Amino acid sequence: MHVDLKKEVTRSSAGRFGIAAFALIVLLAVFAPLLSGYDPIGQSAHSFLAPSWSHLLGTNHVGQDIWSQLVYGARTSLLVGISVALLSTLLGAIVGTSAALIGGTYDSIVMRIVDALIVIPIIIVLILVAAYLRPNMWTIIILLSLLGWQGGARIVRAQALSLKEEMHVAAARSFGAGTLYLMYRHIVPDLSPILLVDFIYSMRRAVFMEAGLAFIGISDPNVVSWGVMMREALEYSYLNVWAWWLLPAGIALSLLIISVTFIGHSAEPVMDPRLGGEASA
Amino acid sequence: MLSVRGLQVTYGSNRVLNGIDLDVAPGECLAIIGESGAGKTTLGLSVMGLVEGTVRGEILIDGVNVLALPEHSMQQVRWSKVSMVFQNANNVLNPVHTVLDQVMEPMVEHGMKNKSDAREAAGTLLTRTGLPNDRFDSYPHQLSGGEQQRVLIAMALANDPGLIILDEPVSSLDATSRAEVVNLLRSIAGDRTFVLVTHDIATAGRLAQRVAVLYAGTILETGSTSEVLSRPRHPYTRALLRSYPNMTTVKDLQGVKGRMSRGTTGCPFHPRCTQAIDVCSRERPPLVAANGRMVACHRGGIITLLAATGLRKSFGRKRAVDGVNLSIDSGETLALVGESGSGKTTLARTLMGLLPADEGEVYLEGRKVAGRDKDFYRQVQMVFQNPGESLSHRLSVLELVREPLDIQGVGTKDERERKAIRVLGEVELPTDEDFLHTYAHHLSGGELQRVAIARALVLDPRLLIADEPTAFLDPSLQAKLMKLMLNLQEQRGLSMLFITHDIAVARKVSDRMAVMFDGKIVEEGQSSMLTTAPEHPHTQALVKGASDLHSGPDSI
Amino acid sequence: MRILSKRNLLTYAVALLLILSLNFILPRLMPGDPLAAIYGREALVQMSPQLQAELVQRFSLDQALWQQLGSYFAALFHGDLGYSYYYNAPVFDVILGRLPWTLLLVGLSLVFSTVLGIVLGIESGWRRGSRTDRTMLSGLMALNGFPDFFIGIVLLLVFGVVLGVLPLAGALTPYSGLSGGALVLDVLKHLALPLASLTLAHVASGYLLTRNTMITVLKEPYMLTARAKGLSQRLLKYRHAGRNSMLPVVTMTGIWLGRVVTATLFVEIVFSYPGLGYLTYEALLFRDYAVIQGVLLLVATLVLAANFLVDLSYARLDPRVSYAR
Repeated sequence: MHVDLKKEVTRSSAGRFGIAAFALIVLLAVFAPLLSGYDPIGQSAHSFLAPSWSHLLGTNHVGQDIWSQLVYGARTSLLVGISVALLSTLLGAIVGTSAALIGGTYDSIVMRIVDALIVIPIIIVLILVAAYLRPNMWTIIILLSLLGWQGGARIVRAQALSLKEEMHVAAARSFGAGTLYLMYRHIVPDLSPILLVDFIYSMRRAVFMEAGLAFIGISDPNVVSWGVMMREALEYSYLNVWAWWLLPAGIALSLLIISVTFIGHSAEPVMDPRLGGEASA
Repeated sequence: MLSVRGLQVTYGSNRVLNGIDLDVAPGECLAIIGESGAGKTTLGLSVMGLVEGTVRGEILIDGVNVLALPEHSMQQVRWSKVSMVFQNANNVLNPVHTVLDQVMEPMVEHGMKNKSDAREAAGTLLTRTGLPNDRFDSYPHQLSGGEQQRVLIAMALANDPGLIILDEPVSSLDATSRAEVVNLLRSIAGDRTFVLVTHDIATAGRLAQRVAVLYAGTILETGSTSEVLSRPRHPYTRALLRSYPNMTTVKDLQGVKGRMSRGTTGCPFHPRCTQAIDVCSRERPPLVAANGRMVACHRGGIITLLAATGLRKSFGRKRAVDGVNLSIDSGETLALVGESGSGKTTLARTLMGLLPADEGEVYLEGRKVAGRDKDFYRQVQMVFQNPGESLSHRLSVLELVREPLDIQGVGTKDERERKAIRVLGEVELPTDEDFLHTYAHHLSGGELQRVAIARALVLDPRLLIADEPTAFLDPSLQAKLMKLMLNLQEQRGLSMLFITHDIAVARKVSDRMAVMFDGKIVEEGQSSMLTTAPEHPHTQALVKGASDLHSGPDSI
Repeated sequence: MRILSKRNLLTYAVALLLILSLNFILPRLMPGDPLAAIYGREALVQMSPQLQAELVQRFSLDQALWQQLGSYFAALFHGDLGYSYYYNAPVFDVILGRLPWTLLLVGLSLVFSTVLGIVLGIESGWRRGSRTDRTMLSGLMALNGFPDFFIGIVLLLVFGVVLGVLPLAGALTPYSGLSGGALVLDVLKHLALPLASLTLAHVASGYLLTRNTMITVLKEPYMLTARAKGLSQRLLKYRHAGRNSMLPVVTMTGIWLGRVVTATLFVEIVFSYPGLGYLTYEALLFRDYAVIQGVLLLVATLVLAANFLVDLSYARLDPRVSYAR
């Protein structure tokens, strides 16, 4: 069952589109200072200016340049998305493999906690904590990671359990290898495809949650976020400004999420080869 | 009831069924037997119109060609005129519906609008097939294999179809369930027409009146079940029956060399056939009638290789061979059993022409043999009893084995030598220089006999007459030699006339047996039948006296 | 497709306990006066000294931690969730007033998106590879990528702002004094856009899952058996294949409930729909901690309970599964 991840993703047109769109957004984020002329937080002009050559998307209700906010917002989304994905995939991998390898009571307890975390709606906890802590970006990242690893842990554990029975692991065991060694050398490498898919979907969820939280009002005030943009713009939806304020932010966010979704979907045959070979979008 | 005409099914580049013609009379049960991969299931599915791929030909059910019907008409035919009992694999029944619902469903969908009537009818059917009432509302996975099979049968009976196709109905069951289901099928047969598709010859024997043998998408033989199974006329059928493990076959499992392959031109079986001639590789033999059967063979079925009629040989007043009629088919092993003095060896020698017969004729492949010429000896060879005597002491091993080739003038000296060495390899003797130049009297008994066999084989004969080949050997060597001879027979497609006094040995190696007493053949027939139910007193005596006939598993 | 093991009551109990503990612990971890921590400075300013003293008494806030815990649970059993300074009423009453709207929205959207997702998934899976299938697939996959609140925003803009055919906010036209059929119509008009947003946002998951399962199911032997029985296409698709393909979606409904609740929160904000979500938003804005806690606790409990019920019902749908204790 060694499906080449790269091949699968580049083979489907959905995957190619996803990668292209994602790359575009990354570029925007990386080159943000070059692309925008203004400090996104600072007031640069009058409010509600229409788009012009000096302000590509006009200005918002307090005179901030929207285009600058857009490209800097990409940074936030990507940063949060990738950090959370990394942390939660890592956490899920560790918990999953250790539960599979150690087994016994440890496994039961851990899986019970995982199950409990799966059924809790994350947003509840997030709002609860955020209401009290008035978080900054890093707090949000940590919170999202702590609440996002459980799904991956399940899948990793299932896979690790079956890998555990494979010959090369048994062989290493017979040489006296310890749990840590087995995890590091034998199991995790074979898990890479699954971990990668988990990473992709974690990132998707993180981007969504960050924007959603910002939309509700839970965000780092020093950081530009598409969610914040959308919230602010929504207040003024009765004015004609939504076309260049509300929509671009929403479209940018959607584009990022869609691109990650497409990449993830095209990578799915890695987990279940029966689904492969689809002439998808 | 059912007629198949020229049915061809192709999947992509794969021709699965290659021109099938069949007729099944109303009320009859036809079994289609064959190995896996022969196309049996495809044939069954074609009758239901469920086969994917390209389909050509006609399938007439009650006069209507179902292959020409559009899908929605076919939907009406399915399960009302013809239904199918599927092979019970996992998930043949839908796991989320109860078995009663699934039996009821075709009734409701084919016109019985009243649900409670259908439910009752379904219940009756399930009871008929032996499913207890409390199981009606179970789900498939809660039932045992035997119970699931009964549900499948009940389901097939739902709309009382005139034709039912059974695809391996008992293969997945254990012996007891198997017997029960077979009895069940017999009891529901009534005047329904059955087509039974299976690789299980025993079941076919118990359920079907007629049988058709399918090989690589072609029908090779059809006929009445009892006749085909007891006296197959096509080489493949015989090979199939031989390799089938059942309780009454005692000849050791002999596979047929090679494997089934599709897409061969000519007769599909010819690469593995022991009596193939030129035309077999070029043209497909049509299925023609011969002696109450249909056989697809250019040679009309298994041919008789050697036949003798009314042979007589006397030495003075002693009638050694007194009116013997004998025949050996191509690829067959006939054992000639008799005590010393019965005339076995004389008969063998007479057949070989070493002793002129007083009366009688010998026929090789249907042609009368006048004198024994080189040609004859190329086809018929003999292995004598005592190798020590039959091998000259003057010649080395190599020379001994090469001698027949030298006499016949086959090829150059080098070629002959190489051939001799190859045959020595076949009989599992060393082929190094030292051994080749060893003289006969330096060899052990077992080695001598192998040399003798090598000699006999070097001319690639069709028939090997083996006269008590193990008589002078130790018991341990006997077993080894027998195994060797059987292997050689299978590899080379030889016919064998195996002469022995030991009826137990005879049973192990032969398809047919002839018992000789006082110059006459007193009983003849299938080896298994002869040894389990001997009729002639002499045979009975032999059987009784056989040391290990009834003891535990023979060890060969 | 068995992704989840059978969860038993213990799991849910643990989950609930976690939330309750969090709810309890967080404010008490903050430095300073416990009353201020729980209710927030803004609230304290508004409350009269008698009210404050009463609350301190009710929740044992001047006593040891474990006594506070006792009062906390005792209060919970009585349905006492504290007092909302902003709405000037017990939290419980405030919540009760908003709950029906959210239930309406969540319930209907869950049903619609699940059913629609399953039906589309079946039809798409049945025609795998055809143009219909590929169009639906790419369309829904794209739809899946849009965050639910953005879908809401777009719908609001198109139908509310630009076209102006549906209302922009609220669940009812205020002060309209409608009743009977006209009232129902009014409610429906206000419900339309939020419901549509939620349904559209979640149709894709059910669709994709059903479609994938359908593809596998169609290859199963019992589909050939069903075809052999001469059944119509409709029956094959729904009674045989469909019935098997919808099982994973039912399982996942439990998990997705959390997502639907999240989405409802956002959508209510977009449409100013007076449900629990909008309530939370307002409470956050005004730092009315009591309300926040109350709503979140209630929602969490409801979600967990619903999950549990879904688990129970799954055993009845798939006869191969027996509910493991």
